Amino acid sequence: MEDLYIAPERDKPEIDFKFSQHHLVLRGESFPENAVSFYAPVVAALMNYLGRTHDTDITVDFELRYFNSSSTKILLNVFRMLDQASSNHNRVHVNWRHDPDDDTVLEFGNDIASDFITLKYQAVPVPA
Amino acid sequence: MQTEIYRAFRNFVAEQGVIFYYNGYLSQPIVAAIGEALRGKLEAEDASGKATRKVFSTFVEMMQNIIHYADGAEALSGTATPFGNVAVGRLGERYYIVSGNSVANSHVERLKSRLDALRAMSSEEIRAEYRRKLRTEERDDNSKGAGLGFLTVAREASEPIEYFFEPYPGLGETLSFFTLKATV
Repeated sequence: MEDLYIAPERDKPEIDFKFSQHHLVLRGESFPENAVSFYAPVVAALMNYLGRTHDTDITVDFELRYFNSSSTKILLNVFRMLDQASSNHNRVHVNWRHDPDDDTVLEFGNDIASDFITLKYQAVPVPA
Repeated sequence: MQTEIYRAFRNFVAEQGVIFYYNGYLSQPIVAAIGEALRGKLEAEDASGKATRKVFSTFVEMMQNIIHYADGAEALSGTATPFGNVAVGRLGERYYIVSGNSVANSHVERLKSRLDALRAMSSEEIRAEYRRKLRTEERDDNSKGAGLGFLTVAREASEPIEYFFEPYPGLGETLSFFTLKATV
């Protein structure tokens, strides 16, 4: 399937999903006016990819400086989808890149990762 | 405005530590632009990264709340564009963010009960409620976001959030003016 790239904007993250390389990146700021509609095509492409992928190492890099409350809910759903992909014998590696000075972002990553134990989650400090 | 009044206005703004004040139409591009300016200003003032993030997060949640929920725009301005106001300031070591917008009287009781519930919670209870709400699929019909906006504001705050409602001047039968304040 085709890779998905969405260029970043002031209030929207860069989406760089290289499905062909099993490497997905979500990076930047996320506070769109309507998070559900912004993420709808992203979530649809991810679901499509995960549905056809098995016995594969998938790497997902999150590097978010800020996300608002409605983006938070969607991130939780993305983690859930990645977790469910393990049932197809995929190994999903999640790198949660965060500013070491930012407890909120780090705690959010650690907290939701603890819900989804099949994910190979790693918090990676990236100084701002 | 007479120049002496403007001088008094400037003095008042300085006394209250106001860093930024805006009153007018609100849209997502305005929120993004003001947010960026606010961040730049806080960084220039040497605010800590933590304070800057909390102020920015609170600002975005309050403004998006207004964009999603402000009522009465048609009655007030003849257009559907929401408007409201916001002030960000610093008094001592603390930053405050205050926002104001019109809401339909029919929503006032529901908002009061949600805000009173948040005011009564400790910061641990707010965090626990945030975790619970994040994981539930429940949505109230009036919620266009994730229903986490006020909780996020309360979570960032170092003191209970404050609010008041007053009848909207001239339109008090249908509208109230809602003021919300958070200190971080």
